[in-house]
Order: sequence, then structure tokens, then C-alpha cells
Amino acid sequence: MPPPEISATDPIPAKAGIGLRFQHHQSVLETRPDVSWMEVHTENYMGGGAALRYLDAIRRDTPISLHGVGLSLGSAEGIDPAHLERIRKVAERVEPGLMSEHIAWNVVGGTYLADLLPLPMTEEALEVVCRHVDQTQSYLKRRILVENPSTYIAFGNSIIPEWEFMTAVAARTGCGILCDVNNICVSAHNHGWDASAYIAALPPDAIGEIHLAGHSIKTLADGTILRIDDHGSRVSDEVWSLYRQAIARFGAVPTLIEWDNEVPLLEVLLLEARCADRLIDNSREESSHADAA
Amino acid sequence: MPTLLEMQSAMKASLLHRDSRAISPMLAGDVPTDRLDIYRNTFAHTLTRALRLCFPVTQRLVGEEFFEGAAQFFIGEHPPRAAWLDLYGGEFPEFLRSFPPATSIAYLGDVAELEWAVNGALHAADVAPLDVAEIGAIDAESQVRICFVPHPSLRLLRLEYPADFIWHAILDSDDDALGKVDLGCGPRNVLIERRSTGVEVECLGETAWCFLSKLCAGLSIEAALVDSSEFDCSAALAEHLALGRFTALALAPPSTAVDRFSGKIA
Repeated sequence: MPPPEISATDPIPAKAGIGLRFQHHQSVLETRPDVSWMEVHTENYMGGGAALRYLDAIRRDTPISLHGVGLSLGSAEGIDPAHLERIRKVAERVEPGLMSEHIAWNVVGGTYLADLLPLPMTEEALEVVCRHVDQTQSYLKRRILVENPSTYIAFGNSIIPEWEFMTAVAARTGCGILCDVNNICVSAHNHGWDASAYIAALPPDAIGEIHLAGHSIKTLADGTILRIDDHGSRVSDEVWSLYRQAIARFGAVPTLIEWDNEVPLLEVLLLEARCADRLIDNSREESSHADAA
Repeated sequence: MPTLLEMQSAMKASLLHRDSRAISPMLAGDVPTDRLDIYRNTFAHTLTRALRLCFPVTQRLVGEEFFEGAAQFFIGEHPPRAAWLDLYGGEFPEFLRSFPPATSIAYLGDVAELEWAVNGALHAADVAPLDVAEIGAIDAESQVRICFVPHPSLRLLRLEYPADFIWHAILDSDDDALGKVDLGCGPRNVLIERRSTGVEVECLGETAWCFLSKLCAGLSIEAALVDSSEFDCSAALAEHLALGRFTALALAPPSTAVDRFSGKIA
């Protein structure tokens, strides 16, 4: 089903943005940092009061993207209509330039499992996700982006490579892809995939946003090394290098610096965003040189 | 091949009850159990953090370690039902009241109940207060039949212990005040609401609290005054309206009000 057309009031520019967390509400308002856009977790603004007032104030100058973590697009039992309605209400108030969710699930039997849990890469899961993306896009009357997951386990019945799963969701529903380069790096290490090949397999036209974040490295009891997507540090060199490949292939797209644990000073986030902006500028120059040649 | 629902139910058992018998055979190859632990840890960590944010004073009273232990039991028994974690923890005060290791702190449940109300006030929807002109538009004789809709941030609690004293003293790190708390001072009638300056917690007199409780339950002014004819309701109403405690009004039909009134008298 093609998503309904809706033009965002303040589109998110193809530049670097930062994840806005509560810790930085006050300093963002006081210092008005030079950053092109910001992204917030939809679930943090479902009530009223101070949080929403801050966001309203920041929103006046800065385009906002809404990134949801709780819709559970992969739930076998369907998505929670009450949660979808809460998301719609936040969107009505914030008028976001982009809205996104995850290829994951976290609700079963009426219980919210408070994490982005992995889906088996099966035809059944693909149908479930597509049905829920369709439902979400028609309810919100706009296109959404869906983010590729970071995973630590895999299922015995998975038969579809994750990059094909992502491509199929976009092709079948008309939604866009939020390409989380850090997640690709994490999952590629954890499952022995080729991260560059993953990026090369995604459809450039569908990429609406890129996420960058830090991850940690953990050695398990059996000696295997696992990458943990904890959003608690700077973007690693390896992820920056994959990011260069991504924008060389996808072109310049809105790129977010995410940092959720051990949240640093706002300045640190802005420095990371500046790094992403420089790479975007370089890739624009390179592609214009290539066009000229 | 397991269905998606079978896998999700198996994963729930693994996260909630650490029972991985169902999920293990569904995983590819020989996935070590510590990989499932990563999901378990995130699940427990996220919910414990949500409880910490909601119950900071409760945590200060019992200590971080005790709080985390209690949270683990609580999460297992009462996992969240919605993906909106601002609403998570409503059963925690009751859980603490019957949590054997916590029963020695008799007032703990009351403090947690107060914090839950503060959390509710903090996150309640934004609704514009009632325009006082709407009352003026009603003829003076009928005004006693006005019923109000309370602001969603308004909470009224009757607590056995002076949890409001304890709450203020701990937030202000005021050991003197904490030392002077008289646990036997009798029940406290507490009002919690969000104002433009933040969430306020204050103690009301018995009559004032009863009057406001009845108004919040939807009773008309005259019905709310049935048992307290001496009460100066106009001063109380003026304060409620000035502080935006109501968002809308309706008129009770005359017959209902009279029935309720005569019923009580009889």
C-alpha cells in the first residue's frame, strides 16, 4: 500500500542533527546551538508539563524528528491502537519533519518488554511488519521510516538476510529506511556479516535518515566477543568509515548522533555532529567532481 | 518451525522469569545464554531506571541496593502493560506495603504513594483551566448546582503517615526536619498538583480536603457541602479556580441535587 502523501511543515535537512535528551533541554534553550535539527523519543513526550513545554520552545527554531521505541511493529498479536493514538497526538503537537520506528518487537500478551527485541527473519515476520507499517502510515497519514536493528541472537528459522528484509518492507509498504550504521556494524560483528555488503545491498532511494552512535565491546564467558549497542560513547572509527561508504552510496541524508547512556555535555554531541557534517560536505564535493568528470 | 507468537511468548518467559527452556531451541546454532542476558539486562535496567525516576525519595529511604532488589521482584510480578513508561509503577506502593523486607518501614508505602501521585501530576496532560467567566454566566441561584471537571494533574490522597513531611525533608536534604517528623501525628489529607512552577504537595484541613474530593468526584457544589454547612466554600472555590484546579463545568439537574440533599438529611 503506498503511504499517504503528507508534506512536513519543517522538513529535516540532509545535515547532521543530535538526539535531544532531557539533560540538555535547558542548555539548548539557553545557548541555541548551531545544529540543523534534533530528534526525540516520541514516548518521552506523551504526557504534558515541563518536558513538552521545553520541546515546544525548542521546536520554534529547530526542526524535530520523532523516533518511537514502543510501537512494536513486529508484534504477532498486532500493534496497540492506544499507543498509536498517543504517537499521533505527539505528532499533532510537534509537527515533526520525520517520524520513525524500529524493525523490532516488544509487546506480547499485553506486556511491554521495554527493549527492542529481535525478529526472526521469516516470511511471517515480514508480513506482520508490513501489515503494521501500513496500519501506522494510514493512521498517521504520513510516511514513516523503519530502522534496522542491532541484534545479539539469531533464530533457527530465519531465512531472509536482514538487508533483504529491510528492502522488502520498504518496497511493500512505501515506507523509508532509517539506516543505523552503528547497528549494521554491531550486528555484522555479532553475526559474522559483511557490513559494507549490507550497506551496498540497501536501496538508496528508500534511505530517509542515518543514525550514528557509539557501541561497546564485551568479551563473553566463552571467550567470544560481542558488540553491544549501548549509545554510550563516541562514534567509533569503524562506524565513521562505514558512514562514508553509506553517504557515498545514498547521497547526503539527515544524519543523527544518538547518545542515550552516560549522556555527555551538549558540546560533545555538537562536535560529533560537526564531524558528520564535514563528511556530508566532502561527499557532496566528491559526487559533484564525479558528475563533472 | 515456531510461529512468531510462540517465539515472542518464549522470549517473554526468558526475560520475565529467566526461563529459557522454550526460547533456547528456537535460537540459531549454539547461542550462549549470556547473549540472552543482554536483553534481560536491558529490560531490567530500563524498568528499574523508570522506577528510580518515579520514586527517588523511596529510594533514598531504603538505599540503592535495597531499592534495586525490590524493583527486581516488582518487575517480575508487575511488568509494564504499555510502552509509555511514564505510567509504569502504579502498583509499586501497594507492592512495597506487602513486601516482607520493607514492612519494618511502616510509612514507606505512603511515601511511595505520594511519589506516584507526584509522578502522575508531572506527566498529566496539559489542559487549559476553566475560564471563571463561565461561572459568572450562570445565574446566582443555579450556581450551587455547578459540577466541575478536575484538572488531570490534580491528585488528592489521604495518608496514614506524614509522608508529605518526609518527602519535603528528604528532597531538601533537611535532616533537622526529618528528625522532627512525628509518625503518630494522624492521617494527612494531601493535595498534589502541577503548577507553572512545578509540582506542589500541600496538606489540607479535613473539611477543605473533603469538599474538594467531592467536587473532584463530580458532585455539585451543594451536594459537596451536605456534611459541612459551616465551611466557607466561597474562599475555597476562589482558590481552586485561581489555581486552575478545574477545567470545565456542567450543571447538575435540580432534581438530582435535591434528592441527594434530602437523602442525606433523612
